Amino acid sequence: MKRKEFLGRLIGEISGYILQGNPLRMVISLHQEEDGAHISIFDDIKRDESELKKIRTALNPTSKRPELAEYYGLMAGHDTPWDARLKLVGWQIKKATVENSDSGIQIELWLGGDAFNPDHFTL
Amino acid sequence: MDRIEKRLYVVICSMFTIMITAGFVSGGFIETVRAFITLQTLGARLIQDFTYTHVGAALVNSALVGICGLVIVFFSEIHLAGPTMAAILTLTGFGLFGNTPFNSIPIILGVWIAAVTARKTLGAYSIIAMFGTALAPIVTYLAFELFGGGLWTIVLGIAVGLVIGFLLPAIAGTMLLTHQGYNLYNIGFSCGFLGLFIAGLLKAAGRLRDLSIVWNETFHPVLYLLIPFFGVMLIVCGFLIDRNVSVRDTLASFVKIQKLPGRLPSDFIDMASAGGTLVNMGLLALASWTYAAIIKAPMNGPVLGGMLTIIGFGGFGKSLKNCWPVMAGTIIATLVFGKSLTAPGPILAALFCTTLAPVAGQFGIIAGLLVGFIHLTMVETTAIWHGGLDLYNNGFAGGLTATLFIAFMQWYRTNRPREDFEQ
Repeated sequence: MKRKEFLGRLIGEISGYILQGNPLRMVISLHQEEDGAHISIFDDIKRDESELKKIRTALNPTSKRPELAEYYGLMAGHDTPWDARLKLVGWQIKKATVENSDSGIQIELWLGGDAFNPDHFTL
Repeated sequence: MDRIEKRLYVVICSMFTIMITAGFVSGGFIETVRAFITLQTLGARLIQDFTYTHVGAALVNSALVGICGLVIVFFSEIHLAGPTMAAILTLTGFGLFGNTPFNSIPIILGVWIAAVTARKTLGAYSIIAMFGTALAPIVTYLAFELFGGGLWTIVLGIAVGLVIGFLLPAIAGTMLLTHQGYNLYNIGFSCGFLGLFIAGLLKAAGRLRDLSIVWNETFHPVLYLLIPFFGVMLIVCGFLIDRNVSVRDTLASFVKIQKLPGRLPSDFIDMASAGGTLVNMGLLALASWTYAAIIKAPMNGPVLGGMLTIIGFGGFGKSLKNCWPVMAGTIIATLVFGKSLTAPGPILAALFCTTLAPVAGQFGIIAGLLVGFIHLTMVETTAIWHGGLDLYNNGFAGGLTATLFIAFMQWYRTNRPREDFEQ
């Protein structure tokens, strides 16, 4: 899979989710290396703990689902008129962290090969 | 593999064991084996009811095709869950009227070659590999039906099956985007699309024969009782599968499933629980069987195939709540157009139209009734387009209906004036 399309899909779906909340501000930052990438998304709306938990669960599935990621994962970022589905993103990434920052939500997505070490990345 | 998944394997394996035992007991061992071999060489285009040839052999064939799916899931190290159970039970259902191990395996191998080419695992393409067997009739058509059988025609059939399997992953992904996951049988839609070109090619070469319907109307007690037996069995298994979960929690999980829209990909085992999912599958089995029994439809291969498909998708998008409006729409269309509810087209449409259940789940009862109504008018036309080569003809028609509906909804949603910026 070409990296550009892959990143575009993930960014499309996650930004679709953020835009559902109609934020006044949204920032997306991308840092790429040869073996992986880090996407960071911020907005200006704080979420309560139950919603944060829901997002964390969707982005960090308990088990890998290659049969769903490769096929149904293609829908990520292509269905903006409908509700965003973070599971489509969760199946395709290594891990995600979700917290409230000073202004609003902060979602960090880590993706890449098995050798990829998220510790080498900073914002 | 966790404890619940192991028990799901036991449930599915039990279903296959029951079918194989019932097949051999009702048909006699030698006669069933002989008829099973005959089934491998029969033309498999729509509608070829294998129970017309031999009920026992049809049941054994159906279970063996389902076992092929189960083997793929086990050895490609993916989960036996909602999507994979849907695929396995759909294969099983179509093993009663079209799929055989002989015509299905080349397609599966073709998808595997595509996976290797794209440097993926078979697990990643496993759903496509299993549902891709919808185009399996082309293998038997070329191998036996068109040229009468012979070594080179068998090789030709297998080779074409491999090529089709190789093409499917590319097509399936693109077709998924056209209806945005509102047609559950997306590979049926993709296979119908590819089938148009294959049928066109055969027609241009003067090699596309007319369709015929082989439809068993003889009562057989095993066929009549199989689905309600599975329904009750699944409901009981649903309450027993996890001893840590109470009956009340299983029922709560079943109720939660009824509230889900069911749009692809909705793995009910993941979104609710295995127990609630099995109860949903069992109740769908009983509901669809009751409808067929009330209208006195023949319980033959295609009708049971439709019910097994509904049962399978009871873990992957279908619930009682999102299925009934679509079924009602198709039934209303059947009556409005003066057709018989028990004729092959309408009864199969009433069962397989549930491919559009997510439309009712997401947009409500009226939308469900509407797409169900449109579906009947489409499905009676589309089989001729692909020459009956796509077994999931309802998936093809459903894909067209969903695409039309979603295109309109997308236009409406992206043009809401009250959400424009102020001028």
